[in-house]
Amino acid sequence: MTEQRIGTDEWVEQHEARLATQSELRELVYGFGEQLPLWGRLGLLLLIGLFVPVLTSNPFHIRIAATIALMATLGVGLNVVVGYAGLLDLGFVAFYGIGAYAYAYLSSDFTGVHLPTLLTIPLITVLGAVVGFLLGLPSLRLVGDYLAIVTLAFGQIFVQLMTSLTRVDLSWVPFLTTDGPVNLTRGPNGIIELDSISIFGFVADTLTENYIIRLVVLILVLLFVHHLNNSRLGRAWRAMREDELAAEAMGMPTRLLKLQAFAIGAAIAALAGTLFAAEQKAVFPANFDVTLLITLYGVVVLGGLGSLPGVLLGAVIMIAVPEILRDIELASLLFYVGSVVALIGLIKPRRLVGLLLLNVAIIGLLVQVIAESIWPDSLAELPSVASVFPEFSVSIRFVTAIIDSLPEIVTSIVRNWLAIPVGNQELIGNIALAILIVLILIASRIKQTTQLLITLVPTMYLLALVWEIRLSGQESVTRLIFVGVVLIVLMIYRPHGLLGTQRIEIV
Amino acid sequence: MSAQLELKHINKNFGGLRVINDLSFVAQPGQITSLIGPNGAGKTTLLNLISGIYQPDDGDILFDGVSIVGLEPHEITQRGIARTFQTLRLFLNMSIIENVMSASFSRAQMNLIDIVFRTPRFRREEQRLRNEAEEKLGFFGSRLVGYRFDQPAYSLSYANRRRLEIARAMMTNPKILLLDEPAAGMNPNETLEVTALIGQLRDEAGYTIILIEHDMSVVGGISDHVIVLDHGEKIAEGDFEDVVTDERVVEAYLGRKSS
Ligand SMILES: Nc1ncnc2c1ncn2[C@@H]1O[C@H](COP(=O)(O)OP(=O)(O)O)[C@@H](O)[C@H]1O
Ligand SMILES: [Mg+2]
Repeated sequence: MTEQRIGTDEWVEQHEARLATQSELRELVYGFGEQLPLWGRLGLLLLIGLFVPVLTSNPFHIRIAATIALMATLGVGLNVVVGYAGLLDLGFVAFYGIGAYAYAYLSSDFTGVHLPTLLTIPLITVLGAVVGFLLGLPSLRLVGDYLAIVTLAFGQIFVQLMTSLTRVDLSWVPFLTTDGPVNLTRGPNGIIELDSISIFGFVADTLTENYIIRLVVLILVLLFVHHLNNSRLGRAWRAMREDELAAEAMGMPTRLLKLQAFAIGAAIAALAGTLFAAEQKAVFPANFDVTLLITLYGVVVLGGLGSLPGVLLGAVIMIAVPEILRDIELASLLFYVGSVVALIGLIKPRRLVGLLLLNVAIIGLLVQVIAESIWPDSLAELPSVASVFPEFSVSIRFVTAIIDSLPEIVTSIVRNWLAIPVGNQELIGNIALAILIVLILIASRIKQTTQLLITLVPTMYLLALVWEIRLSGQESVTRLIFVGVVLIVLMIYRPHGLLGTQRIEIV
Repeated sequence: MSAQLELKHINKNFGGLRVINDLSFVAQPGQITSLIGPNGAGKTTLLNLISGIYQPDDGDILFDGVSIVGLEPHEITQRGIARTFQTLRLFLNMSIIENVMSASFSRAQMNLIDIVFRTPRFRREEQRLRNEAEEKLGFFGSRLVGYRFDQPAYSLSYANRRRLEIARAMMTNPKILLLDEPAAGMNPNETLEVTALIGQLRDEAGYTIILIEHDMSVVGGISDHVIVLDHGEKIAEGDFEDVVTDERVVEAYLGRKSS
């Protein structure tokens, strides 16, 4: 054994090799990131963020960017609770709601209170921390599932209260004269006409202005959490996640540490809530339902628990992908590009991917020729591939340019390689889907490369067929299926998330 | 000489199973007090009681004359009793230096403001703790230093993991070190070395040590005082030579040699 390898047994070596192959993406991002100091990384993020409104004035795009910034902020907060402290907090969205409603109460005609923004936002952030601390006090004695249940209930109760506190009898409150029951929340109608954020006379009225505020807050929150994580606090959180008992035995007050994480997460959520309310200029109970919770967990888990760049990536994917999928042409493009990327990951050596695609194209054309000679007039136009080419939105004009410059023959091959039968497409699609599933199952068992390639040719063909006749027409279904599939596939290949570190459990 | 640690009539049951039975003993400062006994005698349970992970059913535990029963484990550690685990409990996915530094949590002189704004005090304190952690790791020769600092703990061999656990316990600045079978799983060479090291911990670092060990060569070499447990009871106590020749001890060991 050489000096260099002291204490590295066979298992560790194998493991390191495994890690090396699995963390290419992480290395790519971190390798680049580590060459930049922290302020450089955050500055870069700011620059990229500020570039969005320069690049596009389409309100739809800016709306997406603003949502990403907000979800990323929330994700960073949730990451402190779930990623760093390892607490399954399912009531996180309630703190977001508390922040939003608190903003509504402090900045609207509903209460008649109009505090200056620079006072409101810090105040509400502290309020979030206090409420988080108070809720954590009893519930952090609970572990695992119980904590999840209690916090989930808290989240639901919050929405319920905001919906139903419309006729509250306040006559018992001393020094308060009310005539009859008081409407505290306006129920599902929400509280509306909130003040905009206003800082030193600058009033953020437009979406773009709000987006920039969110971007700046995101960067400040990232800086804050990064500093926390690189201190004794972060070390203790990580230690606690690794082994709570050992952390406690090494002098770390684990219950207090959890409480702190919980409160910090709640404060960040409340802060994000104010930004949300100020931009929407209204708050409704429905803004804080379980869907948002699922999205947020998607953001944190997809990017990799405990990784801040992961949260950013997760937010971009979770928000942008479903938006892109609204557009059937973009969805198709994503589908085909995604399939090819998946193949590239699956097939080694990678040059065989080209061979495979060539074969798929040839098979497609053969089927087309045969089908046309046997049943002329029974083939439909390709619904989505055909329409991919004419017009694209401005943002991906270069793709269209490339396709336009291709020779006619290539374009026609692409348009015609898939034989779509007319008739009961749903039935045909379902049959194709069933065969496809069987083929995928078979393919997943095959180890030998040649056999795998042979199986994958019809699989790819069927995949395209199923997409074209069964999925691409149904927008909402497609989006859901797509997001679900992306998440499932990711969790299979990278259970630790895109940018997370794989954790080791050995005794 | 007043006792550093004193256990008075400790009892502990697990659902009717009596694991510690009216146990009393005293550990003197600056000495190595060894706890020996067959498997299942209750030695680890005793350490868990001292370090606050379990509460005794009755009896009292005095540290420098003050009762520590009912305190939380981290409070006991902060007062100066640190431990290692028989079944290693390292923070495997953290780096070696972080494993050690994490144990200085309660000693770090910094508040939230220092952390968030990276004040000079924060930098000074981080540097001080890092230096201290490197010093503790340096106690084990060159094995855990240099390029090793930033390697994850899981990359260490078994023997090095045991060493890292000791370094981590030292980082809490304890007066008493509780070592639960520190030589378990080591080869004879490593065992010799760890024995010498425990002696050094007493002589150079000045810790009071309570040592649980199966290997009689370790116990015989360095113990100042030996206590023999069987079925949660103290069956003998004294110098190593006196104890190993005691009739009841021989019987306890030979009777259940298989363990
Ligand atoms: N948490 C527990 N619950 C129930 N029984 C336990 C627990 N911890 C230890 N025991 C029992 O106490 C006895 C003593 O265990 P232990 O202290 O680990 O022995 P030793 O360290 O001397 O080998 C064993 O019979 C063990 O099964
Ligand atoms: Mg034991």
